[in-house]
Amino acid sequence: MADFITIAVVSLYFIAMLGIGFWASKKIKSTEDYLVAGRSLGFWMFILLMIGTVCSGMSLLGVSGLGYKMGWPTMWEQVFVPLSIAFCIIFFGVKLHNVAKTAGYVTVQDYLAHRYESPTALRTLAAVAGIIVSLIYLVGQYTAIAIVLIWLFQIPLWLALLIATVVTMVYTAIGGLYAVAWASLIQSIILIVGVLVMAPIIIFYAGGFTHVNEYIASVNPALAMPWMPSGAFAIPYIFSFAILLMVGLACAPHVINNVLAIKDVKYFKWAPLVAFLIYFIAMFLLKFTGFAGLAMVKEGVFTLPNVPNAGDFVILYGIQYALPIIALWAIFAVIVLAAVMSTTDRLMLTIGAMFSWDIYKKVLKPDADDKTVLLLSKIVVVLSAFGTMLLAISPPEMLASLIWMGIGVMLATFAVPLLAGLYWRGATREGALAAMSLGLISSLVIGFLNYFKTVAMGIQFATIPLHFSFYAFVIAILAMIIVSLLTKKTAEKVLNETQTGWYFSK
Amino acid sequence: MFGLPDITILVFGAVTLIAIAALVYWGITFKGHD
Repeated sequence: MADFITIAVVSLYFIAMLGIGFWASKKIKSTEDYLVAGRSLGFWMFILLMIGTVCSGMSLLGVSGLGYKMGWPTMWEQVFVPLSIAFCIIFFGVKLHNVAKTAGYVTVQDYLAHRYESPTALRTLAAVAGIIVSLIYLVGQYTAIAIVLIWLFQIPLWLALLIATVVTMVYTAIGGLYAVAWASLIQSIILIVGVLVMAPIIIFYAGGFTHVNEYIASVNPALAMPWMPSGAFAIPYIFSFAILLMVGLACAPHVINNVLAIKDVKYFKWAPLVAFLIYFIAMFLLKFTGFAGLAMVKEGVFTLPNVPNAGDFVILYGIQYALPIIALWAIFAVIVLAAVMSTTDRLMLTIGAMFSWDIYKKVLKPDADDKTVLLLSKIVVVLSAFGTMLLAISPPEMLASLIWMGIGVMLATFAVPLLAGLYWRGATREGALAAMSLGLISSLVIGFLNYFKTVAMGIQFATIPLHFSFYAFVIAILAMIIVSLLTKKTAEKVLNETQTGWYFSK
Repeated sequence: MFGLPDITILVFGAVTLIAIAALVYWGITFKGHD
């Protein structure tokens, strides 16, 4: 069992998060307050909310884990993921924010319903698809919670999951986006400062930047190259990886909805650069701890547990070696918990919003009063938290892959209807429905064929050269273009109201 | 440099600098609208 200091540090963090939830709950007067924080987020609050939303717990352990396994070719992840925040703000945020303020959008489905003149069909499809991919992503998040709490406290998986789920669920359910944003502010600061302090120490103990590079290159020269000679992280794969991360994460419902909550559009001026620089530096160091861990394991400094995802443990073991003070491990556990919770809370709230606002209020019961919608949002947050936790207790073998699959499905489902809707006046309702449904189905099908290494129609899906989501993304683009050209155009009035065209802002 | 092949420094350095330059350009030219 863990010592008193560890329990105290982690408990303090949990109490602080619950305190934020109770404080934020006093500010909630309406559904709009709950779901978009009254459109009141300032510059730093928004930046740290975006970083916290994009940086999941599994990305914290997985970033160094992937670096441990495949070296420098995986550093592209640390360029493209920070760029996803910039992509989201520039290509979606400016226009969506401007239109949302006058049209009163609460979710991105409000925009899709308005732009494509489809208050029921497209809104429902988008909300259902959003709930499916958010649930997939949410289940995947629990892996990191389990790894860290079990490592630190040696407690059973169910208890680790229950503790983290209850805390996150309580402050999210009672405080809505106010609580999520304030919690993210604290969590992102913990995350960034923690990585900036701990990663250099691990790298220093591994012999420093140059030594680590030289050592991993001596193990395998490909590990120090910018790409692999073939397969995953070869040049074609990196291209599809760039689209997956930059565009896929940018249009993920739990990320894009944040742009509706900012107070003033002028914050979008420097937010892309500031968010990119902060996140890039932190994640670069984190990835490099994976390389440092590889050098230390190969030099026999420590050994990793004999499990299939041993790489995900490299940063934990690196910290144990470089910082042999138990209290510091507790602080690191809080860093990982902060990363996990800053994504899971936003996912829970997004699922709550899509169900209560888009499906219940806008489709099933338009005359529902605000109080009922607000209550339903909270109930759905609780149900999604416990439902996904139960799935994670007996996790499917492919749990870690679910996060990657989740982003791929988000790309194939949402990117085309959103980009075409914002920038192409020829995009029609039928085109959007076709692109969204074909993108969703084809990404799920190709993703599973790829995961289960299926051979079908003469194609070996295990060795397709691009990330599976890219093929589904292309199918969605073709569906949007072909169907839009064959169907009735959207009314000019709506296109003008939604500021559709080849510009960022009028 | 830094124990890495030149191509690694060149490729990652170039892509990162281009990304930063593009975001600085965005910041300088952004007028916004509210």
